[in-house]
Amino acid sequence: MSYLNKIKILNKEEKKQIEEKLKEQFGINEILGLLIESRTDRILLFQGNLNEKQIQKLERTLPIEKVGVYFATKIISENKIRLSIEGTQILKGQIKKNIFELNEQQAKEWMMGRELEIKTGKSDFLIMKYKDNFLGTGKASELKIGNFIPKNRRLKNQETPSI
Amino acid sequence: MKKHPEPKQLFLDRMKELLGEKEVEVYLKILEQEPIKSIRCNTIKISAEELKKRLIEKSWKVSQPWKCNPEVMIINSDLLPGELGNALEHLLGYYYIQELASMLPLIALNPQSKEFVLDLCASPGSKTTQASALMKNSGLIIANEISLRRIKILSSNLERCDVCNAIITRKEGVAACERLKKFYPELKFDKILIDAPCSGEGTLRSTPKNYLMWNINTIKQLSGLQKKMVAAAVELLKIGGELVYSTCTHAPEENEEIVDFILRNFPDMKIQNLKLPIKSRKGITEWLGKKYLKETENSCRIYPQDNNTEGFFLAKFRRVK
Repeated sequence: MSYLNKIKILNKEEKKQIEEKLKEQFGINEILGLLIESRTDRILLFQGNLNEKQIQKLERTLPIEKVGVYFATKIISENKIRLSIEGTQILKGQIKKNIFELNEQQAKEWMMGRELEIKTGKSDFLIMKYKDNFLGTGKASELKIGNFIPKNRRLKNQETPSI
Repeated sequence: MKKHPEPKQLFLDRMKELLGEKEVEVYLKILEQEPIKSIRCNTIKISAEELKKRLIEKSWKVSQPWKCNPEVMIINSDLLPGELGNALEHLLGYYYIQELASMLPLIALNPQSKEFVLDLCASPGSKTTQASALMKNSGLIIANEISLRRIKILSSNLERCDVCNAIITRKEGVAACERLKKFYPELKFDKILIDAPCSGEGTLRSTPKNYLMWNINTIKQLSGLQKKMVAAAVELLKIGGELVYSTCTHAPEENEEIVDFILRNFPDMKIQNLKLPIKSRKGITEWLGKKYLKETENSCRIYPQDNNTEGFFLAKFRRVK
């Protein structure tokens, strides 16, 4: 495991563990690129042409604020992975299970950051999908689906005819 | 029609010097109009064709003004205030709201897949996201920015646009270049963008506070900083690599003077002809008694009244040895 000043690049074994969890949860087989873990259990995905050693050298040269894109969060208490909006979009071609299809009204509510009062019969993380759009991950419990859409990505409560 | 604060007299005098008495009136008139609503399709996430189809389904009137750049679109519909930013397609990162003139530096730089790019003053990320799309999210972008507040905006925009090939660094531009040269000398770039901090005269229409903030001393200070920045960046270019210098201002001290400075001090840097999809004017070769090298004419001046855009300036160089 490589420990950088603020971030750590996951080694092969650690990356494999993430991939295995994603396979189990959503049927995802493979993640292309380097995975980087920040202190807050957020996992970043970097697909640029610098290897681990080169990134480390860059970090010794300049203060690095971020590498790649926020991709997923490790939910340690449940030993699970929650994909971000971009995570679901990047892996959309590989996601095979635990997909929840939303109708237009539900998608609108979801993008406003609201919980959805829907009985899914599941207690798990679900990939939220509206038509061809992958909208991140929700947490289903008995009566509802919990929402993780960050504030800056939410629909404002504007009277628009449709989304 | 928008009502802006009164421009300062010295600013008006300088614009008259650049444009002539008559054209300044046309220039000032266009600044009173609402800016056009332009977006750039984020081809990392969706094709221009598919996005256009979706926007038309929302009853938006969409046009693609530049044949060679179908990703560039204008929304001709009357939208509610904030509707462009609040659309699902925007929130999901399918498009970036970007002024037409601001798209030109990357069209000029034209980074390719797998190239290494340095974006020295990267926030808010419009050009970094554009670079990443052109590079098909491969290669490497070092997106540098000095301000932590602006890094947050940059980071959020890169995330929304799914930019996986960028590393955000935080350092003052000159210092960043110096440290790269000293501590990572083998890291050289195919393309460098210096979209320099500037006095923003070109953005008066969208940022009217610039009327009040305009100050000749700031222009002089910025000119010094811009020279230091380009001087520090030149050596980071690979041989054959290209550098675009751009600003959103009309002030020659921040534009042709910098081009002239590069040409005089770095003989390996050759200015390139630019073919842009909108009307541009040649760089000037004389300003307030100061003469610039003839080649500065290869720079491009974009005036708001020529294309109904913001004002811009850009020049492209190639390092020949």
